[in-house]
Amino acid sequence: MDVILFTLFNGLLYGMLLFMLSSGLTLIFGMMGVLNFAHASFFMLGAYFAYQISKYIGFIPALFIAPLIIAFCGAMVEKYALRRVHKFGHVAELLFTFGLFYIIEELVQMIWGKVPVGYHVPEYLDFTLFSMSGMGYQAYAMFTLVISVAMFVVLFSVLTKTRAGLIIQAALTHPEIVSSLGHNVPRVFMLVFGLGCALAGLAGVLAGNTLGTEPSMALSLGPIVFVVIVVGGLGSLKGALVASILIGVVQTTAISLDYSINNFIEFIGLSVDVESLWRIIIDLTISQVAPILPYLLLVLMLIFRPRGLYGNRDV
Amino acid sequence: MLIKFIKLFLLISTLVFYSMASKADEKIKIAIIEPMSGPLASVGLDLIEGLEFFAERINNAGGVLGGKHIEIVPYDNAMVAEKTIQQLRKVIDEDIRYVTQGVGSNHALNIIKTLGKHNKRNPGKEIMFLNHSAVTTSFTNELCNFYHFRFDANVDMKVAALVSQMTLDPSIKKVYLLNQNYAYGQSFQAAARRLLAERAPQIEIVGDELIVPFGKILDFNPYVSKITSSGADTILTGNWGPDAARLIKATTNSQLKVKFYTIYAGIPAAMNSMGAKVSTFNPIVQVTESHENDSTHPDWLKEIDAEYMEFANKSPYADRQRFMMEMFAAAVEQAGTADPTQVAWELEGMTGRGAHGDVFMRAEDHQMHFDMVLSHISTNVEKTFIYNNEDYGMAYETDGWVDVSDITLPTTCKMKRPKR
Repeated sequence: MDVILFTLFNGLLYGMLLFMLSSGLTLIFGMMGVLNFAHASFFMLGAYFAYQISKYIGFIPALFIAPLIIAFCGAMVEKYALRRVHKFGHVAELLFTFGLFYIIEELVQMIWGKVPVGYHVPEYLDFTLFSMSGMGYQAYAMFTLVISVAMFVVLFSVLTKTRAGLIIQAALTHPEIVSSLGHNVPRVFMLVFGLGCALAGLAGVLAGNTLGTEPSMALSLGPIVFVVIVVGGLGSLKGALVASILIGVVQTTAISLDYSINNFIEFIGLSVDVESLWRIIIDLTISQVAPILPYLLLVLMLIFRPRGLYGNRDV
Repeated sequence: MLIKFIKLFLLISTLVFYSMASKADEKIKIAIIEPMSGPLASVGLDLIEGLEFFAERINNAGGVLGGKHIEIVPYDNAMVAEKTIQQLRKVIDEDIRYVTQGVGSNHALNIIKTLGKHNKRNPGKEIMFLNHSAVTTSFTNELCNFYHFRFDANVDMKVAALVSQMTLDPSIKKVYLLNQNYAYGQSFQAAARRLLAERAPQIEIVGDELIVPFGKILDFNPYVSKITSSGADTILTGNWGPDAARLIKATTNSQLKVKFYTIYAGIPAAMNSMGAKVSTFNPIVQVTESHENDSTHPDWLKEIDAEYMEFANKSPYADRQRFMMEMFAAAVEQAGTADPTQVAWELEGMTGRGAHGDVFMRAEDHQMHFDMVLSHISTNVEKTFIYNNEDYGMAYETDGWVDVSDITLPTTCKMKRPKR
């Protein structure tokens, strides 16, 4: 029982981190149709800004200031670059964000160097909150969880319950009509892009100190974020939440399962005598293939339900 | 008229170019292929810096063969095994006769295989591989080669040192093995299983895990809960880079009390990302050839350490790079030529000065042998760990030395040697 609880809790923690990262991306895609390759770069920038700010004025101010700076950077990227590229269609946008990814990585390396920086969990959150059969849970992990849940609630209610949310949703499907009603559609897009980047930045602030803040962190998280938004359904916030938690739980559960195909074959009373490559494959345990399970899920999803869990259009 | 000028210009520029090139040839070049970008750039760059420092020391002392300088030429492999081969092709094309590498045994394996073919097909143009840190045991066993020299202890030797230290601690009863799933991690796993059974039969192996290597795993919490439920009191791991730092961080965060016995948890790039609090929560033991705070650290080495600190603004780490460069220079001097074949004959069986007695290059398999020190990370040290001018308030503290005779293992190497 305890083991199941552990696993679920760990999966939830990891899933919420993925959600914070992917919510911004799916929002930007849903609203603007832009697949932002540089999204994880804003996550990385969030971690680096938080490191720099918390060095001078502390972690709590960094938690607010860093995402704000990222939001500003994101808005500027949209206003002065992406908007111009937008005219030339989706391929140009893709290429632009792809280039932006490399530019940000190089900039980060120039400013902070190639080695990880010492961004650590603040002292006052670095204690054990509670423990279950020998496993302690750090207060900081709970803090991250609470913030990410709060973020989802706020974001969801803003988008569905407020006037601003209505305009954003309308601007997505009927930009001309919204524009003729007197709303500034390009400005809405700019704000949405800024907000999306800020969410990634916030994830960076919260995760940079547990994962390690280094120039390659964008690259290592980039692919999994795309898996989340495709599985959840492009543009769906609810989908991103469900897919994140699903992937988090599947991956953590898989790690605790030490069964291989060979175990199964032996279990049903047979024995196989195979050589080399096949030997390696049947001896692979589920825990060893855990890191590729999300990608397997992606492939299966694309085959059987290309629109994702909650999406309303095919990929 | 114009064409004449152009011809003259081309002629002069080629002449100038060639004369410059021939001047540059007076240097003995050593190509170093390491990650200078990507997730493990920090590890590669630190090692390149170390090698450049030791080459500069030799050059400042007058170079070799009556004034020839040693030049370190860095190549970036971005930790992609195919890129290592590409860069090695470049090294071959540029007629550089010495290659060194250390980060990632899969890369070293590519170099050994590629050079094996190259050296067979191009007699007289052989290239020597000075392996400073790639430790997979098979390189000096079944894959051994006359032109490969390993200056670091191999995995089996390091695990032997760790296991003999573990037997001194009666509180160790259950050990969990966790390794990266590639050549080196598998070599570690096999060595640990064999040596624990041979030398410490009282210790039970309660878990044996291979993980996807090089920072692919973001969340180590599930592994920590697995370790907790296995009841292990010790984790024996070969993990390095983010795979080590994240594992240790996750263990600290869940307040799991275990002992870490590692090879590389204390490399500079991991120490600075963990920080003092995480690295001293549990005893993190590692095995190295020397460290600054050891009471037997010789004075001459302390001077070199101080020089290095001034050069790189960081604490010294890999002393093996020092004796590698010193022995290489000595071998070139004794051979009287920079020809790799002649230098290789000199390096075989050579001894050099180490931090704790002599270091010795075994002729049979080209494996370096030396005493190794076990140490754990502690805040109670004289010289604290400094990285890029930042003081981390912790460093290694000696637990004990393992004599070279305890970690000298037989080899299966059947080396083919050229005619002398």
